[in-house]
Amino acid sequence: MATLPPVATATGAAARPAPPALRRVRRRRRPSGEPPPLPRHLAKSGKWWLAASAGVVVAWIVVAATGSVSHFDVVDTRVLQAFAQMRTAPLTRAALIAGGLATPIAVYVLWVANLAILVVLRRWRHLFVWFGVALVVVAFGSLMLNALQRPRPYDVELLGRWSGYSMPSLPITVLTAFLVSTLYALVPAGRTRTVGKWVICALLAITALSRLYLAQDHPTDIVAGAVLGVAVPLAAFRLLTPNDVFPVRYSRGRTAHLDVTGARGDAIVRALQDQLGLLATSVEPFNLAGSGGSTPLRIGVKSGEAAGETFVFGKLYAATHVRSDRWYKLGRTLLYGRLEDEQPFHSPRRLVQYEDYVLHLLSDAGLAVPRPLGIVEITPEREYVLVTEFIDGAREIGDAEVDERIIDQGLSIVRRLWDVGMAHRDIKPANVLVRNGTMFLIDTAFAEVRPSPWRQAVDLANMMLVLALRTDAEQVYRRARLQFSDEEIAEAFAATRGLTMPSQLRHLLREQGRDLHAQFLQLLPYRLPPVRIQRWSWRRVILTIATLFAALLAALILVNNLGQPL
Amino acid sequence: MRAAATAGLLAVLAGGLLTGCAGNSTAITDPPLCRADSDGAGSGVILMAQSVPSASFVPCIGAALPLGWDFHHLIARNGAARFWLDSDRDGQQAVEVRLTESCTTSGTTEIPSDHDGMRRFERVTRINPTYAGTRYYVFDGGCLTVSFSLAGDDPGEALALASQVVGVVARSDLQQQVHEQSGGRLELDPGEGSP
Repeated sequence: MATLPPVATATGAAARPAPPALRRVRRRRRPSGEPPPLPRHLAKSGKWWLAASAGVVVAWIVVAATGSVSHFDVVDTRVLQAFAQMRTAPLTRAALIAGGLATPIAVYVLWVANLAILVVLRRWRHLFVWFGVALVVVAFGSLMLNALQRPRPYDVELLGRWSGYSMPSLPITVLTAFLVSTLYALVPAGRTRTVGKWVICALLAITALSRLYLAQDHPTDIVAGAVLGVAVPLAAFRLLTPNDVFPVRYSRGRTAHLDVTGARGDAIVRALQDQLGLLATSVEPFNLAGSGGSTPLRIGVKSGEAAGETFVFGKLYAATHVRSDRWYKLGRTLLYGRLEDEQPFHSPRRLVQYEDYVLHLLSDAGLAVPRPLGIVEITPEREYVLVTEFIDGAREIGDAEVDERIIDQGLSIVRRLWDVGMAHRDIKPANVLVRNGTMFLIDTAFAEVRPSPWRQAVDLANMMLVLALRTDAEQVYRRARLQFSDEEIAEAFAATRGLTMPSQLRHLLREQGRDLHAQFLQLLPYRLPPVRIQRWSWRRVILTIATLFAALLAALILVNNLGQPL
Repeated sequence: MRAAATAGLLAVLAGGLLTGCAGNSTAITDPPLCRADSDGAGSGVILMAQSVPSASFVPCIGAALPLGWDFHHLIARNGAARFWLDSDRDGQQAVEVRLTESCTTSGTTEIPSDHDGMRRFERVTRINPTYAGTRYYVFDGGCLTVSFSLAGDDPGEALALASQVVGVVARSDLQQQVHEQSGGRLELDPGEGSP
């Protein structure tokens, strides 16, 4: 598309100031084989535990295939007999108490307490991983018990409680998995978690010694159980809730945002230089409260002037944001149906490519949007930064002076969006900035090319409501009639109500106590019947049924396992 | 549609996990066969023997289950072991076989036993509208209880099944089996002077 002139308003063309000059250095292509700026990895200990669990499975297969279990039985029995030689009445009482942690009631308390705490803290991702780990560990442990069919130890008196076959030791497997899951879901990374690991080691050692003393399990049952019990939650939590993406914190703050200090911060600086030739001097989160779909960054860079510095804006997208986008769109499809003719993104690369493309499109259309500067790869297929111009010194429209010139610019932006066949779809005060009498439209992640007419109409109504927040409905309506027909404005307000407005806009309208929507309707010479939001399609029906079915199953699983995980 | 397919797949997976997790996770799903292979009784029978170390006999499944009957599962724990048989006519867990160290036989009638070395007692609790009753086999160091809770019209089949299918293995045979399988290095039970 050829670049269009700046948006013309009823009060003249809105001049768009040039962005500050940036100092650029020679870019560098990453050679084949060189790791990306932030390689994805499972920590060494995670690999070790996964290898150990693979070793356990291989050992089971070898023993089963060669029929050599009796050799292990003999060795195990001699160890247990040595423990049994030490038995005295007080020691036995102590061992029975020490083994209490592996009893069904203790495991049950651990299970319910964790679920309750995670629900209260609303740490849903950790909760789902916790729940998944419990299901997998119990199901796999149970499967292996029935596959291996190893009786309890021979030639020694068994004391205390036991149930079922012994390999792997299910109480040890489940207890270990639950303790490790607790550690990764509730204890912040760092020194506290390291201390927690040693506490878990001590608790498991005491429990294992108790079970050996009482001859409830063979030593090899305990080793196999502990290895599985560590490996499964460790792999699950490290892969699905990595610390740098989903840190366990007890301070306030949005957990969806990524930590940009440490290795990630260094990687961003290095990637900006290599891939865009920008010399970054600082990377810091910016206006986190206004963004849930990405981690917004203000990046200090060397400017074109000697020894000068300026800023660029970065939006860090990760796999977690793609998942959020997917859930968000699923929710909207369930809520609105056919009118939301949109598809979720399936990778951060696609998401960032799309937003970059939309920014180019809007910029070429002469709209005042941040100029796109490029995409930076942090971790292939997982993390990217979209770099744009930083609108330095701009204020949200809710805090800015709004006069007729600004009103005209806002309305002209919508007019131009209509002309080029686009919709922004998230027009709210946080996404409309004003600087020196120029309005900027930001956050184009939800923008759509060739949207439904309904979506375009909603954009107009939302823009008029945003503008009226700082002025009044009558003034905005009067200016709007210079660019839109009564029919178009009537359509906009017929299409917009309740959930079709961004939540920030709804909250501000409620705060002000003015029913601006009703005021606009009163100003209209006539009203159109409200556009029905609820439209049904086969896709929506299938998705609704599948979602309800999944929710029902999840509830059944929860109820079933709340009773007793062991 | 991809989201719908994913949701459906997740639902099926969750359903599978639900099925896998339902009930006791230490439940044994293979029947405890009196003769699992040429080496002797199945592992489930040995585990039941470990549940009640004093029992001189251990119950097992001695013959193939007739059409319409299925093995439910076995739970063996310290002090007791039990397994259930399901019937498509008499209902789930229609027959329960339980091994304990002792049992109360008051209110029962002793009848001639069909197993050597055991005394047999019978108690019929109800015959209408469905049959409920208990059969006891009392022997040295243990008691084998067979409980019937039959939803079908004809209790005769289930009662006969208990006699034909539910067998017993002598503990001495199991001891011999463990001794041989370990190359003479291990015994099922700790001997005199053993820990």
